[in-house]
Amino acid sequence: MTRYLVGRLSVFIIAVFLLTVFSFSLNYLFPGDPITNMTGVRTFQNNYSLVMELRAGDENIAAQYLHYLRHLFAGDWGLSLSNSTPVFADGLQHFMASMELIILALLVAVIFGLPLGVFAATRFRQRSDKAVISLAMMGYSIPVFWLAQLLILLFAIKLGWFPITGQINPLYGVEPQTGSILIDVFLSQSEYKAEALQDALNHIVLPVLILAIMPMMLLLRLMRNATQEMLQKPFVKAARARGLSEWRVLVKHAIPNAVQSVLQQTTLLFSLLLTNSIVVESIFNWPGMGNWLIRSIFERDYPIIQAAVLMFAFVILLFNLLVELYHGWRFPIVRHEQNATD
Amino acid sequence: MIKAYANVAVIAAALVSGCQSEEPEPAPLADGIIYCSEGNPDTFNPQLITSGTTVDATAAQLYDRLIDYDAKQQKFVPALAKRWETLDNGTRYRFYLREGVQFHKTDYFEPTRELTAEDVQFSFNRWLDETSLYHHVGGSYPFFSATGLDQLINKVVKIDEMTVDIVLNNADSSFLANLATDFAIVLSAEYAQKLLVAERPEQIDSLPIGTGPYRFESYRKDILIRYSRHPDYWREGPGIKHLVYSITPNANKRMLKLVTGECDIIPYPLVSELKALNREQLMVTNEVSPNVSFWAFNTQKEPFDDPLVRQALSHAINREAIIQTIYYGNAELAQSILPPTSWAYDDRGIQYQYDPEKARRLLQEADHSSLDITIWAMPVQRVYNPNARRMAELMQSDLAQIGVSARIVSYEWNTFRRRLSRGEHDTVLIGWYADNADPDNFFRPLLSCAAVATGGNRANWCHTGFDQLLYSAIATTNPEERKALYRSAQHLLNQQQPLLPIAHSKRFQAQQKSISGVELPPYGGINFRLATKKPVQEQSQ
Repeated sequence: MTRYLVGRLSVFIIAVFLLTVFSFSLNYLFPGDPITNMTGVRTFQNNYSLVMELRAGDENIAAQYLHYLRHLFAGDWGLSLSNSTPVFADGLQHFMASMELIILALLVAVIFGLPLGVFAATRFRQRSDKAVISLAMMGYSIPVFWLAQLLILLFAIKLGWFPITGQINPLYGVEPQTGSILIDVFLSQSEYKAEALQDALNHIVLPVLILAIMPMMLLLRLMRNATQEMLQKPFVKAARARGLSEWRVLVKHAIPNAVQSVLQQTTLLFSLLLTNSIVVESIFNWPGMGNWLIRSIFERDYPIIQAAVLMFAFVILLFNLLVELYHGWRFPIVRHEQNATD
Repeated sequence: MIKAYANVAVIAAALVSGCQSEEPEPAPLADGIIYCSEGNPDTFNPQLITSGTTVDATAAQLYDRLIDYDAKQQKFVPALAKRWETLDNGTRYRFYLREGVQFHKTDYFEPTRELTAEDVQFSFNRWLDETSLYHHVGGSYPFFSATGLDQLINKVVKIDEMTVDIVLNNADSSFLANLATDFAIVLSAEYAQKLLVAERPEQIDSLPIGTGPYRFESYRKDILIRYSRHPDYWREGPGIKHLVYSITPNANKRMLKLVTGECDIIPYPLVSELKALNREQLMVTNEVSPNVSFWAFNTQKEPFDDPLVRQALSHAINREAIIQTIYYGNAELAQSILPPTSWAYDDRGIQYQYDPEKARRLLQEADHSSLDITIWAMPVQRVYNPNARRMAELMQSDLAQIGVSARIVSYEWNTFRRRLSRGEHDTVLIGWYADNADPDNFFRPLLSCAAVATGGNRANWCHTGFDQLLYSAIATTNPEERKALYRSAQHLLNQQQPLLPIAHSKRFQAQQKSISGVELPPYGGINFRLATKKPVQEQSQ
């Protein structure tokens, strides 16, 4: 396990290193002054010379990179070019808002996707299986932006059940502290917490649902195929031969083994969620990372573009690492495979 | 006390929601209004900009002016100045300030005194006096340099604590109109002083302090601006406690948010689509705004130097059809360059009728049986003209009927204006949006000889008699005399026809029927001073 851990961690660290090199070089690739791109302080401002010194602007590129790293890890990511707010603090709020959506969507996808997949597998090639699987194909093929329009039209405009933009009705006066609206409502001093919470939940339903559908359908198909495969395996036949009920065979033998292979795919699922979150956030004006990135690109706000790219990539790398580590810890066979190829 | 009351309300709301399907709105929603604005404000000080979005977001909400303009009565009314008088043949205006006007008390500033002459002097000197400490904070003051107000005012003198004199270089009757605009606001000198000491002078424009009906709470770029009612406002204030600007640049989304009830009011609705939705809780209001779109002839070019040709071409255009096709009926046919809301408007004896026969006859009289011309059409959408290219196409076919063949020319907007200033065009479709209520704003910047030099005069039309009329009109303060002079000016324009006025378009807003008191004055930004929200229950019964 230690060897596996060290191996995975070193791959992660190298990837993060390359990522910072890339984001550092962005400062030079973007038009304009590299120090301005890094810090958001423009050349004509009074404190430019100070910032220049802090960032070692007149030394060689390696020294600049080291200073860049130091600031990066200290959480000093410069200021926004468009409104001079600190990028890191701002980014953290946007990050939390995105994570709120993504985690909830992931939960919804798992809670509905996995059982449906098992259900389809147990009725392999029967009519209900075909119905579920064609539904899954459809859900997976509809583009997110189109689905969003349809659901908005139905649930917001025709039925009037859900609002379509933002995290909460601004009149509740819930000020962002963490960025995640559900946490912020709990932290707020409002006398109308219950109503505010209900309003926030109302706001979150549509984006989470739309974000969840694609990974849910993907999970469903993966789980169906994996379970089906397991049900063909000799050990399942053996279990049946021992006279276990079909339910016990499924829960004790088929599903745990199926989940293992599905779990490997969750990293793919996570990147899918992250990419789709950009679209969903733009449609619902959700103040998350995706929205932040898109706007910063329109406004050529280089410190923010850089920060958002960095955050997106880092989150994906970190999630990959965690899944791999969990996998290695939980399923020894993975570790052995890894060692065998070494 | 308030807290206890609120708790009772929560319990009541919880009880009611349990057994009733139609829930009453929770208190924060019932006493607040959400305005879905079309963009971020550039700053919180309207002195620094001319952008409509920023004016809408700040001017009437955070600040007051010395005087206001009442568009209904068409006269100036007291605001921070309770009265004023003209001295020294119109070159000195004396303002007597109102007592007991409180500045906003916020978590970043606590005023220790009420409004005095010092505040007025500070606010004017900020844009007027280049030696003032704050003049270079924020940089430029486009409204004041465009109207020439910074050249007109000689100095601002404090007579005593509550009296201010403004001394002009020469008499100008459009002066008061400029003072009543959204830009001539009054800031707090005490706050400015405090910021100087703290070495954060630029904060005066980002964390604003004024005397207006709302005070600033918070601003999140791209998301919202939060205002709350100024509790010690000096005149009748709003009936709501909170005002939120929810920033929604997308026009479709704004409309959907109005339908779902997330917005109480939206500017620039897609009127035709909103009507198609036909929701009974919504209503659309409109206002003829002080703008005009026109077709200007380059009078320094052959054959447009001949008034007969200009008249002939004007008679060939079916403007009614343009109003229907380009504006979908959301505009008024222009009879004069002045909009009908102006006090100097006078359409007696002015007629631009559509008459192709007459046009052909006039053209023959001028010895032009056939003509080749260009129509320059703006590449961008403007309040006064939503689609200049399409308008040019309609005119093209009208002109073909009298034997004039027209070619449509268009460039990128900046290039377009640069080439216009050089006078490269034959004719151009363009327009004007007024900043203040004075009729002078429609004449001097557009048609005076001075405007030919600065490039504002798109017809390149310099008529000494006309100029004479304009200058006599601003040299006097007698409204009747001015009105007569402007009437002559309008008649002269009608004979000479350097341009053909086409339409005065309307400005729209759509809102929930529960909202009232929100004003969209013809000059200036939206005003929430008297905004109120009726409870929803009243409507359903």
